Amino acid sequence: MGDRHLHRSISRHGRLRVEVLPVLAETLSASILGVDGVPVRVEVDVAFGLPALTIVGLAGSQVQEARERVRSALRNSGFEVPARRITVNLAPADLPKDGTGYDLAIAVGILAASGQLPRHDRLSVTALVGELALDGALRPVAGTMALAAAVRDAGVPEMIVPGASVGEAATAGVRAYGAATLGQAIRHLAGVEMMVAGAAALPASLPQGAAGPDLAEVDGQQVARRALEIAVAGHHNLALCGPPGIGKTLLLRCAAGLLPPLEDDEAVAVSRIYSVAGLLDRRAPLVRARPFRAPHHTISTQALVGGGPRVRPGEASLGHRGVLMLDETLQFRADALDALREPLESGSVTIARVEGALSLPARFTLLAAFNPCPCGWRGSHGRACTCEDAAARRYMARLSGPLRDRIDLWVTMAEPERRTAGSASRSRHPEASPVVAARVAAAWRRQLDRQGRANAELPAPQFDERHGFAAPLLELLTRRGRRFGLSPRRMHRTARVARTVADLEGESTVNALHLDEALRYRAAALP
Amino acid sequence: MIGVGAAGAAVGATTAETSPVGADAFGRAPSPNRQGWRTLELGHLDPAAERPFWVALAQVPGVGPVGFARLLHRYGSARAAWAAGAELLAELPRVTGEATTALRRLRREGPSAVLARVERATRLAGGEVLTVLDAAYPRSLSEIDPRPPVLFVAGSRDAFDAPGVAVVGTRRATGYGRACAADLGDELARAGVTVISGLALGIDGEAHAAAVAAGGRSIGVLPSPLDRIYPPRHRELARRMLACGGALVSELATGQSIGRPDFARRNRIIAGLARAVVVVEAPDRSGALLTAAAAVDYGRDLHAVPGPIDAVASSGCNRLIADHLASLVTSPAALLHAIGASAGRRPVSVASLSEAEGLVLGGLLRRSGSIEEMIGRTGLRTGVLASALTLLEARGLVDNYGGATFHPTLAARRIGTVPDRAR
Repeated sequence: MGDRHLHRSISRHGRLRVEVLPVLAETLSASILGVDGVPVRVEVDVAFGLPALTIVGLAGSQVQEARERVRSALRNSGFEVPARRITVNLAPADLPKDGTGYDLAIAVGILAASGQLPRHDRLSVTALVGELALDGALRPVAGTMALAAAVRDAGVPEMIVPGASVGEAATAGVRAYGAATLGQAIRHLAGVEMMVAGAAALPASLPQGAAGPDLAEVDGQQVARRALEIAVAGHHNLALCGPPGIGKTLLLRCAAGLLPPLEDDEAVAVSRIYSVAGLLDRRAPLVRARPFRAPHHTISTQALVGGGPRVRPGEASLGHRGVLMLDETLQFRADALDALREPLESGSVTIARVEGALSLPARFTLLAAFNPCPCGWRGSHGRACTCEDAAARRYMARLSGPLRDRIDLWVTMAEPERRTAGSASRSRHPEASPVVAARVAAAWRRQLDRQGRANAELPAPQFDERHGFAAPLLELLTRRGRRFGLSPRRMHRTARVARTVADLEGESTVNALHLDEALRYRAAALP
Repeated sequence: MIGVGAAGAAVGATTAETSPVGADAFGRAPSPNRQGWRTLELGHLDPAAERPFWVALAQVPGVGPVGFARLLHRYGSARAAWAAGAELLAELPRVTGEATTALRRLRREGPSAVLARVERATRLAGGEVLTVLDAAYPRSLSEIDPRPPVLFVAGSRDAFDAPGVAVVGTRRATGYGRACAADLGDELARAGVTVISGLALGIDGEAHAAAVAAGGRSIGVLPSPLDRIYPPRHRELARRMLACGGALVSELATGQSIGRPDFARRNRIIAGLARAVVVVEAPDRSGALLTAAAAVDYGRDLHAVPGPIDAVASSGCNRLIADHLASLVTSPAALLHAIGASAGRRPVSVASLSEAEGLVLGGLLRRSGSIEEMIGRTGLRTGVLASALTLLEARGLVDNYGGATFHPTLAARRIGTVPDRAR
């Protein structure tokens, strides 16, 4: 084993050349676990033996394929893959790893271990993330922002990422260098040709995304409009129940244009989730617009709440700090709806794996819309419902009790009766979205100034004078709760809605009128 | 629960096929049926001696009110029919294998043992067994044809002696229908009139509940045996009805299973027991229309509560009125006048309301409406209107019955004056 450290070769002049070879090299990279990054050390050992490249450390198939990508990229970038036994270990070895982001770290590790990278001093302060193309070009990987955050938290100040991801990484707070090719990265690490650190994405300067339809397009439906405004302002869950074609979907879609922009800390958290999901716009890697997700009702449970062999955030997490709109809610798979109970209560999704539980943030506002029965016309004035009683009851029961309990605002919508069509409520000019959005923004500001969070997240012990709840009001709440048969949880949720109603009115104290209005939107009993 | 819907469909089909309402439009007197109950002479039969045979025969599947009359025509008495053995089945319109087996089993058991068993089980369920021959058999039912040969009755016997009005309607009642049913049930009960209905969900339940709440007497005719209140959700309501001096009636012995025809037969008993029938809300294919048809058959007064002409839930009622089969109910007071009862005393109630609440309640008392409509009518903001309605609801003055439209409740109607500063 003694000669293992010596590299013998015959020089051009026919002399035996012996140089000391660093057989072991270590580079830094990172892995995604849920929506968080975890630092990963890439150890490369080059030893005598049959030529081979082995990757160990719970490396998934995408990582195994790195062997071929790294080999070709190294060769095509003018480097040499040593004809030795190369072992790559991804530590911690008990963390399952997948994805293509380790390519750069493995390639650089091989170069360092085989003596092709003369200087190693930067390897301990620079994390490497990127997928290699066969020609040596670097390609961006999903989750760069979360990876960069993990790198920063681990005390590593610098990071080399694919050029396209540099803004994303810089936003997370590391000195990020964007390299176009493996060669460029190596020249930087070797100190031959230094790159310039990329700039973080500037907050606030980004435009809002597609804002959906305008409320001015919605005719009548004053109650549902009002409930939507309250829901959006205080992050309360809303359900609209009514016959087909009366504008439930249109109304809910309007919510996108009413949402206030994300606060700075929210933007970072949301961007990380989008980064992991690979949905980030790399030119503008900080999400400023509050998410508005509207998955189709055929969605699988896994796609809704997240999971899968390689855990990906689901729609619930993509709606974090924003809106999750479930149109035709009762058509969703029962187990998918059931899986929403946890995030609705705790604001996160727990995914149990063999290796342990994983928590994904998922604090969204649920906007639901559904028909009252399979045919849709139950309780309707002008059309007969053709459903069996039992079928209609089963249909509504799809919204399970626990889920129903977590709906703060429930509006039963009806088509306008003939005698009122064209009358007062219709001839009024409907308010446009910007007007409502301004009220929502003001109410949101009041909540942040008072308690630093949305009213929907206000814990029950904080229903006190400081938050505008006087003792007589709480007594009234108890009285009303008893009268209408509300559970303590429902009473708490009603109090939070009343707080939002007061905030929309610009009042610091919640009064009986606010409370009674909040109670108007309580869930209807099962048919 | 599936049974309800299935029965509803069956009832609808029957109505459509035979269309008794339309067919009888010009001849209320039922066509003379030589095989029916009217032409039977029963005075000579000894009630005590006949009783076991009546009860045992009624246990045979297929021996319904019609079949029983045929057997009496053929054999003269139940005892003689029983003696004929399996032959008697030849008299019945439809005989199933089930009937043959059941008859064989009952004959093996013996009529007195059957009677003892049925009486014991009925007593356990809190009821008693009545045959047509019994003096306690409801007099109003002994005029109708076909007539249930054996009845199972729980509660007060004299509930059947007082005049009664049937309040019936669809199970899928709207808020309007529910409010009307409650209003009628309350007025009738306070006028001392017995409210008769089928204890079903929707209109029936509202009428019973209002009658009981007013402390009045109410008779529920069950599609099920006495020991199995159907629908189960109305078990508590049935208990309260009995506590208020009311009664429960069933054509089925305890332990018998419910079938589709039982719902139709129940409806005929309701019409038979009542002096007048009010259909509160019924769509085109409703079981309540079967009750209406029976009312016409039996010569009972038929009333119907009208609905808007575009309201599906009221189309059956509107048709009854249009066909001159039912008289139009303009108000509960008018109905009382029509049946010759005088209105009971109104309990006094006082309400102190804010301006907005008075405005809203005043508007609703003139005409029920949704929040949307009330916005147009009162000019109040959505939020203010929403909170006023909650307060009124908390005080029991309005109810939306789970829908979008708000109706004033009985308590609200009793408030003499509402501050009306609207105009």
